[in-house]
Amino acid sequence: MSRDYPPGTIRTQQVWKRFRADQQRMLLRDRVEQAARRLRGDRGEDWRWALRDINLHIEPGESVGLIGSNGSGKSTLLKMLTRVMYPYAGIIDVRGRIGALIEIRAGIHPDLTGRENIYLFGALLGLKRREVAGRFDDIVEFARLGGAIDRQVKFYSSGMQMRLGFAVAAYLEPHVLLVDEVLAVGDAVFQQRCLDRMREVAEQGTTIVFVSHDLPAVQSICRRGVWLEQGTVRVDAGIKDALAGYRDSIEAQSEASARVGEPLALLKYEVRAGSGEETLHTDEPVTVELTLAGDYRGDATLHLGVSEGTSSPIFQISHEIRLTGGDHRVACVIPRLPLPRGRYTLWTGVYSIGKTDGGTLMSWHSAGQFDVFGPMLDTPPRAVVLAAPVFVPHQWEE
Amino acid sequence: MGGQRAQVIDDREDRHPPGGVAIPDGPPPELVFKRRLRPVQVAHELWAARELVRALAERDLRARYKQAVLGFAWAVLTPLALCAIFTLVFHRAVKIETGAVPYTLFAYVGLIVWQFFSNTMNQGALSLANNLSLLNKVYCPREVFPLATMLVATVDMAIGVGVLGLMFLVFWTAPAATFLWALPLLLIQFAFTYGIALILSVAVVYLRDVRHLLPIITQMGVFATPVAYPLAKIPHRLQEIYVGVNPLGAVIEGYRKALLYGEAPDGRMTLIAAASSVVFLVGGYLFFKKLETGIADVA
Repeated sequence: MSRDYPPGTIRTQQVWKRFRADQQRMLLRDRVEQAARRLRGDRGEDWRWALRDINLHIEPGESVGLIGSNGSGKSTLLKMLTRVMYPYAGIIDVRGRIGALIEIRAGIHPDLTGRENIYLFGALLGLKRREVAGRFDDIVEFARLGGAIDRQVKFYSSGMQMRLGFAVAAYLEPHVLLVDEVLAVGDAVFQQRCLDRMREVAEQGTTIVFVSHDLPAVQSICRRGVWLEQGTVRVDAGIKDALAGYRDSIEAQSEASARVGEPLALLKYEVRAGSGEETLHTDEPVTVELTLAGDYRGDATLHLGVSEGTSSPIFQISHEIRLTGGDHRVACVIPRLPLPRGRYTLWTGVYSIGKTDGGTLMSWHSAGQFDVFGPMLDTPPRAVVLAAPVFVPHQWEE
Repeated sequence: MGGQRAQVIDDREDRHPPGGVAIPDGPPPELVFKRRLRPVQVAHELWAARELVRALAERDLRARYKQAVLGFAWAVLTPLALCAIFTLVFHRAVKIETGAVPYTLFAYVGLIVWQFFSNTMNQGALSLANNLSLLNKVYCPREVFPLATMLVATVDMAIGVGVLGLMFLVFWTAPAATFLWALPLLLIQFAFTYGIALILSVAVVYLRDVRHLLPIITQMGVFATPVAYPLAKIPHRLQEIYVGVNPLGAVIEGYRKALLYGEAPDGRMTLIAAASSVVFLVGGYLFFKKLETGIADVA
């Protein structure tokens, strides 16, 4: 129980957390009602489990991505590791100095200058004044504030304010770094700088726990993935396996959405190898065949897309068709499939051309999934985020 | 490295971990979290956060006067204005008897203490509620927020005491030689004030109604406390109970005796006030620490 773990270790044992589910409205009337119920011996409280039986052991230097849909308990778990929130039951043991890479605009005081705010943040994050002073130039450089540092923060742009709050946290030197959705902060350049900073910190042997919905970013930083679903650990594995499982589950959910009452419907679809083989292969021909049904007559644009675990497609192609009422069959041949090994989702939609230009005949939706066999993508350097998996035929020469 | 000893749990239907062990309906009762307070650890943590207390107080002071032309003069103008009103109303109209001591000095001593208390109480009560989004993200011992507001009020009080020095010059009297008695009284004043601020600050987070009580307490308190009149105005047999509930009564009375009349404070009253303020401080601290664990849940 009291074994001595080195700094940077994170352990949770049978951690449970619950929230009140009835806390919407608390007027005097409700409280009187509640008190009356209590007198009758009925506690009248409605609790909902946010986390159930979480057991994790993270070694110093590991980088762990916490993934899961909204409400799965990621942020709650992270808050408990930060010690901001307390568990209902269980043991949470985080060794060493904890740093949270968070956007703390909440503490910014608009009337103070950037310099004054930096010292205030430092103190809030547990840094000594001279520690902040020692890193002051790095912090200003990271936040790209330059000459604005002695200006009152209320005259900063909102982007500058975000970067200021973030930069101080980035220069903590903790044993454990907890990161929650930082990439919503700032522009593309700043996002890349944040990822680079996380990579540097990871290389120094700091334990990292990264929460984000930006799955490629998680993949670029983390080696291990913990997928939370409805408050329990669904998968705890290497990041690729965890992400693959999570992406599959997202696509399984998006498939379920059925559209009714639209002029056109997708009667059936088929994705088959051009070679006549059973399976699809990278860099080989593929035919996609769709059959549309509906009474609509006229010109329309058919869109076809492919995605992997996100709602934004990897590529999209379109074609003008003339509908004459009744079933309409259309096939698209892709001579060399640019997708590496993996499971993908096929999307499609049809929109009218002419009088009612752009009218929706069949809205953009996922039709189904298909698997591709072939090479895995080469692993990019750490902190480099691949926007989408694409297979590029190539040859190296030396 | 990370993935090696990882386990894949894939069971869409029943969500049981491998090995067939189902997740129970609730945690084992012996693991239910209980707040344990170890005094040494608590003290150590608070000491480690001393720079934070200073930084928070500095933030408030700087921000408060950043666009105020009169700056720190405001720390003095409020008690002076009240002092002028008290002199007119209580001295001229109600005719409060203060012996050889000028009434203005008499009232000003009371007002310094009262101003300190009401500043800490009003600002301290909101110190957590105003920083909730921060408390949701950053860990630090939460009691630093009311503590920082008390530090700000202490700076204001120090300025007020400076003005008291000037008033001694104006009235051409000197502080009595017994002024060292003020030090233990100061401790009682701090302990009681901080205890109240702790209780109110965490209460406001859970019950917003408390916020609306603050102006009422402030308005009534200035008259319910012997600021404008001596403690002797309270019926003699009730004085001990009164001081037990409101130690500020004995504190103000003690300051006046020590600074203005050259007497030692009443021993019995001071002891009652000291005991009461310790109860407020310890009780308030335990109350605070007990409710602190749920702040992030309701924020």
